[in-house]
Amino acid sequence: MHRDVSTPNRVLLALTLVAVAAWLLLPLASLAPNRIVPGTPLHAHEAFGWAGALAALTGLFGLAALAWRPSARRLWLALALAMLLLMGLPAWLALAAALTIDPSQPQARMGLGAAFWLLLFCLALMVIELRSRLALGAVAGWLLGALVLAAWWLATPWLEPLALWREYQGRSDQFAGAVVDHLLLVGGAVGASLVLGTGIALAMRRHTGVERIGFTVLNFLQTIPSLALFGLLLAPLAWLSANVGWVHALGIRGIGWAPAFLALLGYSLLPMVRNTFVALSGVDPGVLESARGMGMSRGQVFWQVRLPLALPVVLEGVRITTVQAIGLTAVAALIGAGGLGTFIFQGLGQAAMDLVLLGALPILAMALAADSLLGALTRRLDPRLASGASA
Amino acid sequence: MIELIEVTKRFGRETAVDAISLRIERGELCALVGTSGCGKSTTLRMINRLIEHSEGEVHLEGRQVREFDEQVLRRRIGYVIQSTGLFPHWTVARNIGLVPRLLKWPRAKVEARVEELMTLLGLPQEQFAGKYPHQLSGGQAQRVGVARALAADPDILLMDEPFGALDPITRESLQLELRDLQSRLHKTIVFVTHDMDEALALADRLVVMRAGRIVQQGTPLELLRDPVDDFVASLLGGNDRGLKETTLLRVGERMQPLSPRLLPQARVHRDATLRQALAVMFREHADRLAVVDDDEMAVGELSLRRLVGARRDE
Repeated sequence: MHRDVSTPNRVLLALTLVAVAAWLLLPLASLAPNRIVPGTPLHAHEAFGWAGALAALTGLFGLAALAWRPSARRLWLALALAMLLLMGLPAWLALAAALTIDPSQPQARMGLGAAFWLLLFCLALMVIELRSRLALGAVAGWLLGALVLAAWWLATPWLEPLALWREYQGRSDQFAGAVVDHLLLVGGAVGASLVLGTGIALAMRRHTGVERIGFTVLNFLQTIPSLALFGLLLAPLAWLSANVGWVHALGIRGIGWAPAFLALLGYSLLPMVRNTFVALSGVDPGVLESARGMGMSRGQVFWQVRLPLALPVVLEGVRITTVQAIGLTAVAALIGAGGLGTFIFQGLGQAAMDLVLLGALPILAMALAADSLLGALTRRLDPRLASGASA
Repeated sequence: MIELIEVTKRFGRETAVDAISLRIERGELCALVGTSGCGKSTTLRMINRLIEHSEGEVHLEGRQVREFDEQVLRRRIGYVIQSTGLFPHWTVARNIGLVPRLLKWPRAKVEARVEELMTLLGLPQEQFAGKYPHQLSGGQAQRVGVARALAADPDILLMDEPFGALDPITRESLQLELRDLQSRLHKTIVFVTHDMDEALALADRLVVMRAGRIVQQGTPLELLRDPVDDFVASLLGGNDRGLKETTLLRVGERMQPLSPRLLPQARVHRDATLRQALAVMFREHADRLAVVDDDEMAVGELSLRRLVGARRDE
């Protein structure tokens, strides 16, 4: 830690530099009189004047000063400052909107500009860097994330003219439904592929013939473009629905959730089976031999030794599969399966980029959340990592 | 008592063990030695049925091992392997208590037994009970391995190159501990190794194997003095055989009563090995040593001629 006192933290300094440049040179937002007209860029200095824009940099310069000769206390101060800046980011948009939008134009809307995204990116990286410098755990990380989201939520009443917010308000009912649909599809596909994948992996371990055929089929499935697979499932499912009573009764049609679910399941199986298979095969043979040599039965060896030791790698498969399925489900909107992809394709159709964002941002957030939650669970289950973390 | 009668093991067309017969008495430490692939590990594993023999009979306490239920048989036999095979997701205490728990001992009894074994193997309870295997050194991990094998107090212990992966210093101290343990516990131990010094230091009886057959068996001294062929002789160290023999004999066995001559300055303890006595002679440039007891009292003398085994000391 002594070394840190004497040398500047280059990561923080570099990020500050990028943030300052972005604030001064790139547009903070874009303004449009209505939804149809493309917006005109709005720089920070245009909204607040040069004096205001430069004064607004005080916080960033403060960060740079703290990063120049970092000590543990200064790093804590820097974390507080970076969090404040991150939480206060929407305030600049609200202020810019209040200063530049004529109240007589209720249709006027504000889009997010490059400077905003870069500031968001740099500040988030600063918080991540400071978190690791200060050796804060995963729980602290989630707490910081929740704090930022809460602050932004509190700022929404002043962000009326923000296009993204407008798009959301117009569809708040649909939005909740889309999130639920998305989660149900992902959860269903991942859950079903876990059960099915474990079964297939176990069968593969028993018979080498199944192993060869299984991986060939799953690899082949993975190479079909997702859109094509959705299309290919359309005809057979429509036929089944029309001709088989119970299939129809289950609500299965050529379009909708059924083909989406089946396609997602197909894509999820390969990573799931591969990880489960590798996990079960990769258990140290010495450990298994001694388990048998001590007089454990087959069942005891599997449940008490092989499975617990394989679990971290199996969960790694669940993590990869979940993140992949969250992204793929967006495409499923094309065949009427619902989910957040609906907004993306509507937005693309109407050339309304903010509507695309309304679909894309929650997908991004979901993927990040699933990744970090399942990653943390994996680390907890691995005795080597868990005991290291608690020490 | 373990008895193998004309036991053969084939893997496909390969014959790993070829009609061997072997009798290991109760309380004996029997070392199976030989180069890699000679069938010694296979022989060991046929005793606890990790490998099923193809022909012949394997008896344990007068019953064929095939008559036992596999799991019942293995729970009665301690098993130690080179890689320790400790469960990485279990603590040391839980690893040691494995077999007693499989045997459904009451919890208090398991805990008491684990504590007893940790003390026996020099693993302080408060320091090691809650540790995971990856937090142990190689020597500590193998101690836990031995404790686990002894947990249900089996009469028989099978050890497959248990100290093969350890550094020389740790290996030697564990060998000494095993010898010490064996002098108190009197288990029947079958010990596989390719380290001849280890076998000579530990075994009551050596069984030399080559290409699935037993070439020679006997006490370490018998083999060192009278190897049946060049293979056994070279396995035992060729011309170094004499030196190895000096590590098996004690000064007390060769010393003479004190003579009226002047007592030599250089001295050696009565229980030291002849090798140590030889080292003292070499270092002190002396051909005669005073032999002393625990109180440093001279109890005899040892000349170089007596040390090397000449009958008369002239």
